[in-house]
Amino acid sequence: MSEALLAPSPDAWAPALEAVASDPRALETSDIAARTAAFERYRLSSANRERPGRYWKIDLDTLHPAAARSAWRAARAEFSGGTARGVVRCDLATAAREEPAVFNKAFRRALAFAPGKYAALAQALHSGGAFIYLPADVCVDEPIVISYRAEAATATFPYTLIVAEKGSSATIIEKHESNERELFVCGITEVIAESSSSVTHAAVQRLPEDAVAFFTRAASLQQSARLSWGLADLGAYVSGSTVVAAIEGAAAESHIAAIFFPCGEQHVDFVTAVDHLAGQSQSRTVVKSAAAGNGQARYLGNIRIAANEHGCDASLKDDALLLSPGAHIDSVPALEIAANDVKAFHGATVGALDEEMVFYMTTRGLEPAAAKRMITLGFFEPAIEHFPTNALRELLRSELARKIGA
Amino acid sequence: MQSARSTDFNGKGDTAGVADRGLRISDLRVSIAHNEILKGIDLQVEPGRVHALMGPNGSGKSTLALALAGNPGYEISGSATLDGLDLLALSPDKRARAGLFLSFQYPAAIPGVKVSSFLQATRQAVRPGDLPPAKFRQLVMEKMDLLDMDPSFLGRYLNDGFSGGEKKRLEMLQLAVLAPKYAILDETDSGLDIDALRAVGESLHAMRRDESTKELGLLIITHYPRILQHIAADVVHIMVDGRIVKEGGPQLAHTIEREGYDALREDSAVRV
Repeated sequence: MSEALLAPSPDAWAPALEAVASDPRALETSDIAARTAAFERYRLSSANRERPGRYWKIDLDTLHPAAARSAWRAARAEFSGGTARGVVRCDLATAAREEPAVFNKAFRRALAFAPGKYAALAQALHSGGAFIYLPADVCVDEPIVISYRAEAATATFPYTLIVAEKGSSATIIEKHESNERELFVCGITEVIAESSSSVTHAAVQRLPEDAVAFFTRAASLQQSARLSWGLADLGAYVSGSTVVAAIEGAAAESHIAAIFFPCGEQHVDFVTAVDHLAGQSQSRTVVKSAAAGNGQARYLGNIRIAANEHGCDASLKDDALLLSPGAHIDSVPALEIAANDVKAFHGATVGALDEEMVFYMTTRGLEPAAAKRMITLGFFEPAIEHFPTNALRELLRSELARKIGA
Repeated sequence: MQSARSTDFNGKGDTAGVADRGLRISDLRVSIAHNEILKGIDLQVEPGRVHALMGPNGSGKSTLALALAGNPGYEISGSATLDGLDLLALSPDKRARAGLFLSFQYPAAIPGVKVSSFLQATRQAVRPGDLPPAKFRQLVMEKMDLLDMDPSFLGRYLNDGFSGGEKKRLEMLQLAVLAPKYAILDETDSGLDIDALRAVGESLHAMRRDESTKELGLLIITHYPRILQHIAADVVHIMVDGRIVKEGGPQLAHTIEREGYDALREDSAVRV
């Protein structure tokens, strides 16, 4: 990220906020009060869970694009893949205008569970985005693909809103890719999973290695809803991701599979939070991360089970692989359990490649580099297999293989 | 990296170097953390022959196997050549590509790596481009059938969650698929039930019948002569306390079964 795009003060964004307020094309300008409040939260909060030190070099509170006003663009989403009768796929502004009833019922509903500095910034400045609406009991077989491609030297704030009505099901793949330089992307994905709906959502971030990317992904799960989340943060110089699943309905199920792999000088800050607010609900969180070069990552995995919400079953498994002496991953799994009759498990490992595995594979004729690549790819596989479609899984494997070789 | 002797061998091509053929181990000493485990091993495995290496627990049999395969943690002196090629100068992967195979007593589990892709990658490493994919698949299926293995093995992760017996069968499958010149079987029989043992024996016999692998030289490491009922040894070597203390024909295995190793321990003490 060039210095020219960064400024020391959050106030650099204030003119952008004014621009949103005065731009008639911007989404619901009447909502300026909510945006202003969000901007104040952004200005006053800190994103750092710890200060920069020996390994982690970035101060997340100072990433304010300097040319904020001129760089600010509406995010543009392209759709491809599946649809079905009654399914709506459009940009967010169109949805607000043409589907006000469903839009207003869902918009910002899950975000209440996702505080955070960059969630607040995205709420203040979001412009452009995607809206997907699945009517009740509609099943979309073919995955729906949303592609965002930012232009060079821009700041975009994409807002993706997915509403799955009762009994509906779909697979949605959200891609953030670009070959352009100097990108600042700060996005939101919000999923409203109504009762007995089933949503598979995969989000893949492959921005260039000088980009700054923040994503907040929040979901509300109603009774017996099922949400399977696959998240891969592979690009960007600084990548901050927060994933929140708020289980509001009994017997709902949240699955999160996350992958990140900082190489070179990349920094990844990753947070998952699963909030069991209703009983008999189930959550599975699997996080696989590796770091190479001077790659740095911090992971915070939180599971909360609210008081008296019995019969919950939660697990969190987080494994980190360090591939070089300069690489570092801090992992903090945390359980907050206020109910008695629940099952909760968490396990975290961090370590280097197992030399015994490498030796075994080389005795079969594989060169050490090939053996290490296979072991490392295999390490990610339990997370990769949760991602939808063969094509996407292959994309992840080849992208990871490229990073291992780098 | 290679000794003058192995350069010689390469220079003469495949038909030459007959005198050098075999897995030849001479005065091999191995220390682990300055503790001498192997105290000068001399042993030769001939092509097409079955050698049994027997000895009590802790005598150094597995250390010998791992040293030959190239375990990086060992301090080694002496020599070991494979058809004239200086093994000790080679990295483990090059030893495998030269035609050496070790069936591990405790194979590593590698989560996320499927048996099918591992077999494919290793065959490709050892014998690049020698079989089109369809033929390769057919070969794997045939070998699995001999070992009485279900095709579902191919979709499982390498040794991950495998029972002891399943791991050993997978080692034997790799042996059959990679078709090396020399194979060391480190206690492949331990943990196997009688049916699995028979399947292992059949797989080895099939390799010895096959024109392309009949020259396979086998070094079978075992405590018990049980596996030798399924594949007969031509030569039996007895190792006690880091030394070969006795060599003989197949009848030596029966003597051991009857009398145990204790008598030989006394022998070795006398020799020291």
